[in-house]
Amino acid sequence: MMDAIQAFLIPLLEPRLLGLIAIGTFAGIYVGAIPGLSVTMAVSILISFTFSWEVYPALALMIGIYMGGVYGGSRTAILLNIPGAPAAIATALDGFPMAKKGLAGEAIGIATVVSFIGGFIGIFALAAFAPTLSDFALRFQPRDYFMLGVLGILLVGSLSGESLVKGIFAGALGIGIGAVGMDPLTFTERFTFGIDGLRGGVSFIAVMIGMFGISEGLMQLHTVNTPAVKQKIGRIIPSWAQVRRHLPLGLQTSTIGTVIGALPGTGGDIAALIAYDHAKRVTRNPEVPFGQGAVEGLVAPETANNAAVGGAFIPMLTLGIPGDAVTAIIIGALFIHGLNPGPLLMTSQPDMFWFIVSSLVLANIFILIFGLTGIRFFVKIVELPRAVLLPAILLLSVVGAYAVNNSLTDVYWMLGFGVFGYFMKLYGYPLGPVILGVILSRLLDDNWRRAIISDLESPVRLMQGILTSPLSLALFAFILLIFLSKTPLWGLIFRRKQT
Amino acid sequence: MQTNRPRRPGELLFNLAMVLASLFLLWSAYGISGFEALSAPGTVPMVTTATMLICAVLILRETLRKSGTTTETLRQHILPVPVIVTIAAIGAYALALKPLGFLPTSFLFLTGMIRYLARYSLARSALLALLILIIIYLVFRIVFTVLMPEGLVPEAEIIAWVKRLFRGEGG
Amino acid sequence: MLMRSVFGAALALCLGAIPALAEYPEREIQGIIQWGAGGSTDTVARAITPHAEAVLGGTVVMQNITGGVGAIALNRVAEAEADGYTLLFGAENPLLYKVMGLGEKDYGDFVPINIIARGVPILVARPDAPFDTFPELVDYVRDNPRMVKFGSTGPGGLPSVVTAMINSVTPLDVTFVPYDGDGPALTALQGGAIDVMPAVLGAAIEGIRGGTMKPIALFDVEPSPQLPDVPTIVSTNPEFAEMLPWGPFFGVFVKKGTPDEIVAELVAAYAEAAQQPDFVDLINNRGFKMLSLSGAEAEAFLADWQSTTAWLMHEAGLTQASPEEFDIPRP
Repeated sequence: MMDAIQAFLIPLLEPRLLGLIAIGTFAGIYVGAIPGLSVTMAVSILISFTFSWEVYPALALMIGIYMGGVYGGSRTAILLNIPGAPAAIATALDGFPMAKKGLAGEAIGIATVVSFIGGFIGIFALAAFAPTLSDFALRFQPRDYFMLGVLGILLVGSLSGESLVKGIFAGALGIGIGAVGMDPLTFTERFTFGIDGLRGGVSFIAVMIGMFGISEGLMQLHTVNTPAVKQKIGRIIPSWAQVRRHLPLGLQTSTIGTVIGALPGTGGDIAALIAYDHAKRVTRNPEVPFGQGAVEGLVAPETANNAAVGGAFIPMLTLGIPGDAVTAIIIGALFIHGLNPGPLLMTSQPDMFWFIVSSLVLANIFILIFGLTGIRFFVKIVELPRAVLLPAILLLSVVGAYAVNNSLTDVYWMLGFGVFGYFMKLYGYPLGPVILGVILSRLLDDNWRRAIISDLESPVRLMQGILTSPLSLALFAFILLIFLSKTPLWGLIFRRKQT
Repeated sequence: MQTNRPRRPGELLFNLAMVLASLFLLWSAYGISGFEALSAPGTVPMVTTATMLICAVLILRETLRKSGTTTETLRQHILPVPVIVTIAAIGAYALALKPLGFLPTSFLFLTGMIRYLARYSLARSALLALLILIIIYLVFRIVFTVLMPEGLVPEAEIIAWVKRLFRGEGG
Repeated sequence: MLMRSVFGAALALCLGAIPALAEYPEREIQGIIQWGAGGSTDTVARAITPHAEAVLGGTVVMQNITGGVGAIALNRVAEAEADGYTLLFGAENPLLYKVMGLGEKDYGDFVPINIIARGVPILVARPDAPFDTFPELVDYVRDNPRMVKFGSTGPGGLPSVVTAMINSVTPLDVTFVPYDGDGPALTALQGGAIDVMPAVLGAAIEGIRGGTMKPIALFDVEPSPQLPDVPTIVSTNPEFAEMLPWGPFFGVFVKKGTPDEIVAELVAAYAEAAQQPDFVDLINNRGFKMLSLSGAEAEAFLADWQSTTAWLMHEAGLTQASPEEFDIPRP
């Protein structure tokens, strides 16, 4: 126990480490905010950069970047409708409408505070229940991952707006886009039409930047000469009463975030989307409807994606299994620094565990500090004349799409999806489901195939498996419940009062 | 799903294109592995493209029911000139990026777009463009070492030269 | 590129030729890693390169380009100029592209700078699996056809090669569950979604030490110094000896046609980097075998590997085209 406390205090007592966490978090916020720059990329670069350092300072910097980066994605999502990272997609759904109403400052303020809360809950779960949670996460079988994907895809119902049919079309299109390229399980080519550039698939980031950034930019050209919305610079730090009001929801979505983050193979992006759906389901009477600037629509994804950070460290620190792409790189970094992350790390090097927990706590506090300062400056960006801001956003989109893979093909894709998304918007197709489909495509497809292969190609056996495993059964029941609640049948049975 | 909004210009064409595209994709998905097995790589693509096709047909049917008389015009509400110009400009940018290189292409693109959209003087547009470009260049190229196409400006050599100068090795 | 040289000349004039543009490397070198961040190839590439940078006196900008079983990255380097400014950090897969129909290029279009290390395959099972040794596994599978689930990672990957070896000796009727890498498959193994996984020792070593996986047999002719108690496959089934030692490897490559001086400089840099004690430790800790081959030795290693593996896969019926079509000699 004493050792644990000692290890926990290391970053607090050594100014250099504290400074590195601060720098990392600060840089991470920008990495997260800029589309095309990802935390994965930044942490990879840091491996070479911190190669000759000791392991503690190297980890301190990486953890800062990771924590800051997940939070930073919300910035551009709120201000420009371009999610800086996939985990911030759900944030844009209600964050950007808030900015459009002149509430950008308030939106960022809330996002920051609830990110802090979510982050803290994830870290708490890591510190308190890591072994239990990782055992639980490992129990997920392919069929459970598949059902998790189905749960996610039901979100189409929430994202569809005026026409459900168009939403379903868009979601199916997204899953199709996600399947383009060489299938990573069998190396079969799918939707490549013999084009070499398609074998690697369509970069998900390129689709995201195109669909959100470019199409929104083109939409705004219709009104390029109307002055930008004046942003209210009143209250930025949300009041305690407001935080308290959203706390119950925040706790639920943080739990969702932690668990999904802890599952190897799913991360903050899926966590945020499922949390958004959850918020929409449990919030009976939002002050503002979802999709038009509901605070709940901001609280849910921002708590969930930051909680997923702590969650992702759970299987990594207990078993040496990465919870997401970033923890996979951190495992690599530990190897390079002569450590052996695996099931024995916790017993052979308990100090490492507590050092990481404490660095995460500090990074989370720095998010609060850096997040709440300078908001006024950021909000000014939205007030720039659109005729100047738009070209800058377009260039940033192009560079961002290029930077992901250093590939011009991705730039063409981004442009193509931008124009396509523009037409979809004009004709009333929702774009959210497309991105949702792309995110969930692999989860659904790969795990469906694994599940049905494991059960010898027999749907009956698969169903038997679901009905005899408590975990699968619970997921299955949950899917049924949500599905029914979204169909008119529910109304017939329960006759809820319409408001 | 009854919206009484009249059909927008081009809507029918777009939705028809979606039906045809879905049909083509379904055929392409069938070509991946046919009805080989439930676990075949083509199964999920076939399910999704079939869903797309059904939805697209429903959407088209609904579009046909809408009134075709509208006050909107293609030129004004669907493809106004700035939109066409911008799409063309980004397209040209992507094409010129490799031969010309990142710095000159981006500078030209920004100057042109700002001048066109904001109608500032050329000097002012160029200055703003330069400012934005410097920020983007610093972040992407210097901090995150994203190697943008070089083209005309041998920037990597310049950076290496500057670095050497700082290290005091040159000379 | 006339404009460019004019620019360059103008620049040189402006700078007054103070620090004359030095010899190779005179700008950043781009290092393209064929596999994703956090994988074995990635970790090893990022661990060796800082040492090589120190020798070269330059910077290598590392980037992961994934997709197409690594073919996207390979083609990217093959399309770049042969000037030594684009390095490929690759694994063994490209040597099978031709027979697998995954691409027209392989390492024949490249010059090996350093074949860094080789992995050792190992067969692991979930800890509560009802068999402990390879013969027990064979018996169990015989009694329970199709019920044992093997993890796989697509044709040409290590699991498919090991499986082909096993089938050439004693055919097994098992179900193959596909994963997109040995990392996710080993995770699934620990969760009981699959029963057996042929993996590279480095990826499984910590799990074996921690008891979350059970080693069945090491696919090598001699025991591993890191896990001396794990039996080798030849100790129970000597008929495997003729196919072993075999293992995935990774190395650094440049495009064929790169000037000899530059190749020599890179070879020297990476050879020295491979000797650094902390890098040697990393390789040993992760259960790899250091090779550090270059020149004719490396070429011979590649040719030998390709011939063994391509024919093994072909005889297992897993190839799209016969190795003969590409003049790959029979082993």
